[in-house]
This record gives sequence, C-alpha cells and structure tokens, in this order.
Amino acid sequence: MRTVGAISLGAVLALALAGCGGSGDSGAAGGPQTISFLTHWGPEQVTALKAAAAAFHTKNPDVTVDIRPVPFANLLSTLRTQGSSPNGPTIAGIYDLWLPELVRDGLAASAPSGAAADVKAGWPGNMVDDVTKQGQVRGYPNEVDLYALNYNKKLFAEAGIPAPPKTWDELVADAAKLTKRDGDKVTQQGLGVITSWASGAVHPWLSLVNSNGGQLLDGSTPKLDDPKVVAAAQLYADLVKSGATQPSMSSANANTTGPYLDNFVNGKTGMIIMANWWQSSLKQAMGDRYSDIGVAPVPVGPDGTASAGVSYSWLTMVNGKASPAKQDAAWKFLQFLNGPDSGKGGSSAMGDILMSMGILPSRTSDLTAHKADLSDPFIAAYVAELPNAKPFPTVLGGEAMSQAVQKHIENIVFGKETAQQAMTAAQNEVAAILAKAGA
Amino acid sequence: MTVQTSHTARRGAAIAFLSPAMAVIVLFVAVPIALTFWISLHDWSMYTPLSQMTWRGLGNYADLLHSDDFLNALENTLVYVVIVLVTTVPLALALGMLLYFPKMAGKGVARAALFSTYVIPTVAIAIVWGALYAPDYGPLSQALGAVGIDSPAWLSDPQTALLSLGVFHVWQMTGYYTILVIAGLTQIPDDVYEAARIDGAGFWRQTFSVTLPLLRRTTTFIVLIAAINAIQVFDPVYILTQGGPAESTTVLSYAIQRAAFQNGMAGQASAMAFSLLLVLVAVAGVVLAAMRRRTAAEGRS
Repeated sequence: MRTVGAISLGAVLALALAGCGGSGDSGAAGGPQTISFLTHWGPEQVTALKAAAAAFHTKNPDVTVDIRPVPFANLLSTLRTQGSSPNGPTIAGIYDLWLPELVRDGLAASAPSGAAADVKAGWPGNMVDDVTKQGQVRGYPNEVDLYALNYNKKLFAEAGIPAPPKTWDELVADAAKLTKRDGDKVTQQGLGVITSWASGAVHPWLSLVNSNGGQLLDGSTPKLDDPKVVAAAQLYADLVKSGATQPSMSSANANTTGPYLDNFVNGKTGMIIMANWWQSSLKQAMGDRYSDIGVAPVPVGPDGTASAGVSYSWLTMVNGKASPAKQDAAWKFLQFLNGPDSGKGGSSAMGDILMSMGILPSRTSDLTAHKADLSDPFIAAYVAELPNAKPFPTVLGGEAMSQAVQKHIENIVFGKETAQQAMTAAQNEVAAILAKAGA
Repeated sequence: MTVQTSHTARRGAAIAFLSPAMAVIVLFVAVPIALTFWISLHDWSMYTPLSQMTWRGLGNYADLLHSDDFLNALENTLVYVVIVLVTTVPLALALGMLLYFPKMAGKGVARAALFSTYVIPTVAIAIVWGALYAPDYGPLSQALGAVGIDSPAWLSDPQTALLSLGVFHVWQMTGYYTILVIAGLTQIPDDVYEAARIDGAGFWRQTFSVTLPLLRRTTTFIVLIAAINAIQVFDPVYILTQGGPAESTTVLSYAIQRAAFQNGMAGQASAMAFSLLLVLVAVAGVVLAAMRRRTAAEGRS
C-alpha cells in the first residue's frame, strides 16, 4: 500500500499544485521576475551557476534566478511532479532523450526567434538538430557525450599488443590475448561490458552496431533484426562464450559505478567502451595509474566503413507552462549563460562549468576557448571522434525502448537468449513500445 | 432528557469525536487509493494536469495480463516473498526463544544488536551490502575463496541476485520480528509451562505443544507483516541492482516506479500499483481467514 500511496500522493501533489498553486509571478509582464533553474549538477557547479545568475542579475536587476539542485536520480521525477505547476521550475537541464515527451506535453517551450537564431549560429548543425522538435528550437544544447574504446595500455603491453584494435577481428583477437585464467576462473577479462544500467548496456553495444553500418531506428522503425545489428549481438555472445567477456564483472549500481568500473580501474579489464564523462571517475579511482588509460575509436565491424560511437547530449529548456513574462526572462538568462561574454577567455559560463566537470561543451566558440584543456589526450581522442558520432535516437518512448534493448542485451550476456532470439524479441518489443508511445 | 434525545446526543458526540480520524483516513488512504484506480483507467505522463488524462478504460489492466515484463516482476516478487518467509519466520522464532528462555547475561545487548539492523536506514545499509557483495574482490567472495569455495557472483548473476537481495532483507528484518516473538512469549503464562513439566514434557514437547501454539497470533502477525514488507521491497533493488541483471531482480515496486517516473506511463504504473494492492489484500485475507478458521475450530473442540 506504500507503493499505491506513493503513486497517489505524487498525483495528488501534482493535482494540488496544478489546481491550487498561485501563479508565483513576482510581477506582471515587464515587472520584476523570479525564475528557477532545476539542475542535477553537484555543489561546485551549482556554485558556479549561482555566480552566473548573480552576474546576470547585476546586469538585469528585474530578473532573479533561483537555482534548484536535485540529485540526478530525482531530476526526471521532479520534472514529472512539479513541471506542470505554475510554481514549477522555469528552466531545467534535461537529457535529450526526454525532450520528445516534454515537447508533446507542452513543457518544453519553443525558443523565441532571437534565442533560436543564437542557437543556430553558435552550435554545430547536428547539435541544433538534436534540440529541434516539431520544427522549433527547444533549448540551448550544452553537454555532449560520446562513446569510444578505453583500454589499459599497461595490460596491452603485457599481452604484447602494440596498438588498440581497429576492427572487430582485432578486437576479438586482442580480447583473447588480454584474458587471463587461474584454472577455470577468468581473473582478467579482455573486453568489459556493462549491465544493470540501461545507457551503460545499450550505448556501448549500439556504438558497435553503428560501427558495423547498422542502426537502432530508421526514423521510428526499429531495425534490430537487421543482420548488421544481429552481428553485434553475436559478437557479444561469442566474447562471453570464449571467456573474454565476464558477465560477473559487468554490473553497475544506481550511482552508475560498481563492479564494471572497479574491474577496469583495478586492471582486471583490458578494454571497455565508455563515454568521456567518466574521465573524472577514472582519475579519482586510479590516481597515478590513470596514465595507463588510452582512448581509441570504436572498432569497425565487417559491414561497417567507419567508427561511429553513440553520442547524446543535454540541453537547457524553458518551461512552457510558465507565464510568458517568466519565459522571456528565462530565455534572456539562457542567452547570457551560453553567450561568449559570460565566461572566461571567450568561453560561455556554461562552457566553463562543463569543462570543470571534464565534460565536452558543444558551443563552437566554447570548444575554441577551451582548446588547451581539450588537448588532454583522453579528451582529445573523444573530440576527434565527435564528427563521426551518431546521436542516440530521441523519440517518444525512448526510455522504455532503451530498457527493452537493455533487457535483451543482458539476456545475451547471461546466456538466456541467443543473439538471434534476443534481437527478434527486441525488434517486436521496441516496435510495440514506439507504436504505443506514438513515436 | 428523554431516552431518544440521549441517543441522538451520543451519536452526535461519536461522530464529532471520530470525524477527525475518519477525515485523515479518507484524505490520506481512501482518496489516494481511489485516485490511483482512476489514474489506472487513463494514459498519463504526469506532465499534464489530471484533467488532461486520456481515457483508456481497462486497457492498462489488459496490457498487464499480456505483459511478460509484468508477469516477470510478479514472479520475482512472489519468489522473493517465499525466500523471505521461509527464512525469516523460523529464524525469528528460534532467535526469540533463544533470547527469552535461557537465563544468561547480555540478552538485552543481543536484542538491541539484532534490532539495530532494522533501525539503520536501508539506503545506508544497502551501500555497505553492495560492497560486501562485490564479486571476486568483495569481502564475502574473499572469505569463501580463503576456504577454497568458489564464490557466486552475488548481485552480478541472474541466478543468485534475487536470493542475495533476500539474504540482505532477512539480515535487516529478522531482528524486528525477533522482538515481536519475544513480546509474544511474554504473554504466555509460566504456569502453563509448569503444568507441562509436571506432565513430563521436555523441551521439544513444550516447544511444539505449548510455545508455538500459544504464539500463533504473534506468528500470524509476523507472517502477514513479513509478506507485506517483502512484497513492497524497493530500496535495495533501486540502489543495488536497478532490477538487473537481465531483469532478474525487477520486482513489482521497482517496475511501478520505472513505469511511472522513468517511462512516463503513470496509468500503467497505477494499474500495477492497484493490482499490487489487490494482491496484498488477498494475501492478508487468506492469512487472517486461516487464523480465524483455526481459532473457531479450537473453540468448538
């Protein structure tokens, strides 16, 4: 009954806030406005964001920006329970996969012409496309993440492997050389995979799919039964069967850490496909041994022509349920926050905040301003792959789709389904999910 | 004052005294349950007001019947409940008797230590158990390895993940149920045991013919609460496994949270939540009916 109560109280809260809440406007259009910014960032970045808000307030005394930090795990649920309330967050940092649903339900406002022009002029075309839904720009792109092969140079040297694999054949051969056994027990795996975490399971696997010429969706039609996709599933099955991938070393927990990370940082995993954001985790966990880590493009499959890791992004959107005056103030603040005058040395304040976390900014001028920081070998390898990356498809029902694919990838890893069975079932499930979501 | 007037006044007073409590129950129990059922008849992302929900009728319930994921969550939940019940209840009874009957020093400390696992927030304990359960390099695996036993992968293997969560639950909750058993034992008069001993009953005879029968109400309550707690398990699943690996620990509570807050399918989540409520009511009904039948049978004999 606690569960029924939790769902119900959430609904009651939403109802109460929607039905009974005041407008929360601190004044009529043109008067003083207080807007709020919902973010999942940590204390250090929140402090920087507050400083940017204070600088904006100095230039625009009529607008006060209130920063509302929440843990990452609570970001989406906070949006769901407070988003439609008149007192809900005016601005929110969101994962691009959530955008289609927010647009459908009127939460992600379309940018006014000035902000839309600003985005189109300042960001690469693929980033602009990512935040454009129903023909309208829906927010400012900020963080961009993509996947590449991370490998342990020390283990490679011990195994006599001179360079990271460029093809699947080399990947399989290198994984076998990197695998160490103590009797029947594998003590060091060649290629690590991730389970119990949707993005962790799906994105690295899809990076291999993309690099084999396959794709998850064609528009809103799933392509999981395409032989190029099945081949990536079979690659996982073969690696597990050979012992080069150990399912028991793969699990993640709610913090997106856990055995998969522990095994890599402790030199028990030779290679793993991961995103650039985990650089800070590696540095923190490995100390001096961080220098053992190398980054290379995702190996290309037999039917592929080029490496194409998955990319995804985060953006800041404005709440379409807020009053027009608040929306105007919010777009004005975002234009300042993402503009080249709010940060240091030609960077935006947003670019500075992202770089403080080791995350790639996406504004072209931010990439130029942080050129020196981006020359770090780890980050530079990801920056080099950015033009080849394929964005993860953002469609209605995207979260449920990811979870369905995750389930079947994990079924392959744990030997519950063959590659063909898993992809056939995933194809049917994803098609049903997208149809129900109206993708 | 006439008799009629007195009755009316009493009824008025009863309503006046009961209404605050009834209002609280209606507001915080009846309304949310009714609202959950109402939402379960719609499609709703939670981003829009309730007034803009899309009517689905019983479609969400029909979908559940054909959903392998829901049936998997239901099966996992039932397996989890069985693991918890068959372990926790006998263990709590044994520990309760062990901490009640023997006259020894330190019983209070032992009771407090057992109960402390129940008091510490689950989130804090789950993080510790996550480290204990780490495959290969975790303390449990290292300990087993030291005595030459191949350690399972605990939470990292679909074959053992649910069982491992069950062990965690048993560790956390057994102390609480043990305290309930001890409270039940204090209600059994000493002269019953004295009479049994005069009749020549030994320890085992006293246990099975006196202690356990007279503890039946307490045991029934423990079974009911343990089953409900197990059915509602959420925190360790959310923190430690996120329902994985390969959906092996996806229980109903976690599936409900995922559907509502991650996938924006509050209607389907509410249908699951309402179905869970029905399951809980059914479980409680069966346990209580069995207890009443037993009591009635004893009354007749």
